[in-house]
Amino acid sequence: MINNDHAPILEVAGLSVSYGSFQAVKEVSFTVKPAEIFGFLGPNGAGKTSTLSAIEGLLSPVSGKISIAGYDIHKQPLHAKANMGVQLQSTSFQPELTIREIIKLYSGIYGISLPDEKLQSILNDVKLEGAATKRFGQLSGGQQQRISLVIATIHDPTLVLLDEPTAGLDPQSRRQLWERIEAIREKGHAVLLTTHSMEEAEAVCDRIAIMDHGKVIAIDTPEALIELHKNDPNVISVSRKGKITLEDVFIGLTGRTVRS
Amino acid sequence: MEPKIPKFSDAFLSLLRADFTTQWRNRRSVIMSLLLPVIILVSWKGLIDKLGGAFALSISMNIGLTAIGIMGYAISVSRDRDKGVFQRLRVTPIPTYFIMLSRLIVQLAMIALLTLFVFIVGYNYDKITLSPFGYTLTFITAFIGGGLYLGLGQLIVGLVKNSDTVNSTSRLVYIGFIILGVFGEFGLFGNALKSAIHWSPFGTVKTILSTSMEPASWNSQTTVALLATIIYAIVFSFLGIRWFKWESR
Ligand SMILES: Nc1ncnc2c1ncn2[C@@H]1O[C@H](COP(=O)(O)OP(=O)(O)O)[C@@H](O)[C@H]1O
Ligand SMILES: [Mg+2]
Repeated sequence: MINNDHAPILEVAGLSVSYGSFQAVKEVSFTVKPAEIFGFLGPNGAGKTSTLSAIEGLLSPVSGKISIAGYDIHKQPLHAKANMGVQLQSTSFQPELTIREIIKLYSGIYGISLPDEKLQSILNDVKLEGAATKRFGQLSGGQQQRISLVIATIHDPTLVLLDEPTAGLDPQSRRQLWERIEAIREKGHAVLLTTHSMEEAEAVCDRIAIMDHGKVIAIDTPEALIELHKNDPNVISVSRKGKITLEDVFIGLTGRTVRS
Repeated sequence: MEPKIPKFSDAFLSLLRADFTTQWRNRRSVIMSLLLPVIILVSWKGLIDKLGGAFALSISMNIGLTAIGIMGYAISVSRDRDKGVFQRLRVTPIPTYFIMLSRLIVQLAMIALLTLFVFIVGYNYDKITLSPFGYTLTFITAFIGGGLYLGLGQLIVGLVKNSDTVNSTSRLVYIGFIILGVFGEFGLFGNALKSAIHWSPFGTVKTILSTSMEPASWNSQTTVALLATIIYAIVFSFLGIRWFKWESR
């Protein structure tokens, strides 16, 4: 299909996901536009990963329509998947393979030829010059994250899905990753990421959806969400130094109970 | 620019290359599949005159095939499922069955390697020779019997999600098969069990392998054993695929 710059890259309408009788995602709808970084914010167990899994075609939702670059994930899964790049929350690659072999596997799957010099220059770009012959398990958390992102974007997809990409990273690695995510936006491509870091949501996301108990309870820009909820008594009651932050809005809307 | 679906042949070859590399680096499982068959051929040298070359070769191959299907295939599939290797591949634009097909091809190559290995060791060390037709037929039945064990491996990963449980279940089935198959064949556990073992998956594979080595001895019983092997393979694979989940949680 012809890519119209105003058409959303990702459209999710009325998505519900169940595991047995447990409904993990309830009637979720949102869109992500080109050159947009969209954040899914929610406590543990909110249904963020389940929503992404449905978009990625890893599970069949109970109901709902999902299209990626105009392709329905169920009717044309391969076309839809060719347009997306994915970093799963818990991915591991075959521990027997070296980084070079893993990257070649995925570039091969996408039909991209990657001579050794090209591959080396990609590794240089992410400051992993010496990683080609290492195993994934030998890399630090931040290095693994960079490799996962390299692989997720090896085919230059128009939609990049990242599930908690900065979990467990030190501040430097996190900043660096934010810049890489922003570079994807610079190309006009869309990013959908999940996080429970408010700081991250405020710093890099153009729009965010706050999700809790399987439902999206608010969608807007971080600024607009603060503006809209700054007078909500629940939000004011949890605010700490007088100034309302996104975190106050988040806790005000999702409650103070700790989720396991 | 809109990415198109990549060419399936490129994608499949990349997958195959990665799976062969993984298998090659996993030498422990390769050695496991070849070692015990060789030990049998070597240690039974004295018995071969009494039992016949076909008997020794078929027991040795049967154990190797069991190791490939149950230990090699099932354990590696469950480990990769646990690690999320499959989920990562499933979000790429390849038909899902490619993922399993590529792994099966690696295991079929292992079966071919085992068969050659057993023939060569049997010839060099035990002076066992078969007719050209015997070698050919045995090669074919090795794949059919190997298919049965791969189906059984698939059944195990279909029934059991946890990879530690798959590990212990596979070992148990493997050792159980060897003990019952090898000793039961000598009638060590009585005649009723001997007949049950004869028609068990291990027994039917043993029958078709040993008869293929001496094609002249093929009779209606062998044909029934061949059919039974094929039916076992189909039923195991069907159920194993049906119950299979790509995720371990
Ligand atoms: N495969 C599964 N089987 C059963 N329940 C699941 C499964 N995956 C997730 N859940 C449940 O669904 C809910 C949402 O999980 P998830 O989407 O992983 O949330 P999040 O990513 O926001 O932490 C949780 O209560 C979780 O326990
Ligand atoms: Mg999650």
